[in-house]
Amino acid sequence: MVLRCQVEVLYFAKSAEIAGIRSETISVPQEIKALQLWNEIEARHPGLADVRNQVIFAVRQEYVELGDQVLQLRSGDEIAIIPPISGG
Amino acid sequence: MPFKTTSERGAMASREEVLALQAEVSRREEELSSLKQRLAAALLAEQETERLVPVSPLPPKAALSRDEILRYSRQLVLPELGVHGQLRLATASVLVVGCGGLGCPLAQYLAAAGVGRLGLVDYDVVEVSNLARQVLHGEALAGQAKVFSAAAALRRLNSAVECVPYAQALTPATALDLIRRYDVVADCSDNVPTRYLVNDACVLAGRPLVSASALRFEGQITVYHYDGGPCYRCIFPQPPPAETVTNCADGGVLGVVTGVLGCLQALEVLKIAAGLGPSYSRSLLIFDALRGQFRCIQLRSRRPDCAACGERPTVTDLQDYEAFCGSSATEKCRSLQLLSPEERVSVTDYKRLLDSGSPHLLLDVRPQVEVDICRLPHALHIPLQHLERRNAESLELLGEAIRERKQGTQERVAFPVYVICKLGNDSQKAVKILQSLTAVQELESLTVQDVVGGLTAWAAKIDGTFPQY
Repeated sequence: MVLRCQVEVLYFAKSAEIAGIRSETISVPQEIKALQLWNEIEARHPGLADVRNQVIFAVRQEYVELGDQVLQLRSGDEIAIIPPISGG
Repeated sequence: MPFKTTSERGAMASREEVLALQAEVSRREEELSSLKQRLAAALLAEQETERLVPVSPLPPKAALSRDEILRYSRQLVLPELGVHGQLRLATASVLVVGCGGLGCPLAQYLAAAGVGRLGLVDYDVVEVSNLARQVLHGEALAGQAKVFSAAAALRRLNSAVECVPYAQALTPATALDLIRRYDVVADCSDNVPTRYLVNDACVLAGRPLVSASALRFEGQITVYHYDGGPCYRCIFPQPPPAETVTNCADGGVLGVVTGVLGCLQALEVLKIAAGLGPSYSRSLLIFDALRGQFRCIQLRSRRPDCAACGERPTVTDLQDYEAFCGSSATEKCRSLQLLSPEERVSVTDYKRLLDSGSPHLLLDVRPQVEVDICRLPHALHIPLQHLERRNAESLELLGEAIRERKQGTQERVAFPVYVICKLGNDSQKAVKILQSLTAVQELESLTVQDVVGGLTAWAAKIDGTFPQY
């Protein structure tokens, strides 16, 4: 059986606009590939597909490549989706 | 014989006073406008002489003068900076790309701190809507080039700082030469093509890049291409699709937020220039002004296959960044072309139709917050977002409004609906949605057109009293 945990997803800039929320707590497997984690989040908010190639995807405040590396998550971990902003 | 009553004579006297005052006001207005022109000319002439003199490297400085010691005393006593750091600042040059919401506070603090030379790049002129955040510019210089306005303000603040205004856009043709003349570059621009241009030029010229940005209540700052750290392309190899990018004109921004980011950016520039080293190389600081939170995200290291700074770079020359990003570096408003000319009307034609009393519905699709700013009283308001989500209540409201206005007209003829927004982009999207709804008969037969240029064109061409924002 897959052990799951509750992580907090924070949406910034365009991703908050797309998701319509600024944060949410979701249940995900404790052991998950980075790309799968993104896909789980994208499944909740399909519009995020528009920005997937331009986001900083951060787990516990650290950049994570959207690839096959396996993440070990714990409840309470913070996942941040940060598209660049270019205004000034 | 006609004679005037006392009150009539009183009215005459006050009328004369009004006329005299009006004449005085217009005389002073003329005087002011000529003063402004003279000032602009003086500033321009000043810049021309500077252009003739090539910018030479600042000479090393051996000691601070008595005046300098007094002026910078509060920072001189900081052991981390000290005389050594201050002397480094005095011989440092910084190129400020963009004299807007970030560039103004940044340049202000760099000049105040005694940075030797500030290059100021901006093609744009000061507009009234800039003043809430671009704090170097004042009302009197509206319409003047931002770089001259900024240079004038900085000279008032610190006459020892050399300001070099460049009243032009940074382009692939000019960027490299310009950036090579400066030690540190601050990206204070407001668009994606310029961000890639500045990055690539900094990589090619080997200059550290302190890059900040702000929108709405959020800000981001990172130092790129510093001491083996990643460049902008390492983090964002592909530019975002143009339609997903929001600028400050459309999305809004709070002046204090650009101010906070501009100050943080100035801090990073000062630390690099003084030799302390930056804090946000390989990391991204994000500021969430609504939550009141700062977060520092550890970034990836340099990408070995980066097109700009990787081991086999493909960017060996500056490119066409507007083509690369699919957007303009100098156009503030993107103009969508979703509709054919037959699906659109000009504000002039719409005004004529309105005056003729011909039955129709005007649909305003702006967000509520913009409708609160100003509206045409006869328009029905349904935000674009509601239409995109096919919101049942909104469609009901729309159907009702159409039926109501249709009464007494020929039932069989398609009823005309005109869609309006701020600039004429969202209105085109709304027309597409309404067309698809009539196609599946969720709405009855309609001819839908949008108003080109939106309420901005209405204010410019039809009603000068209508607010612009």
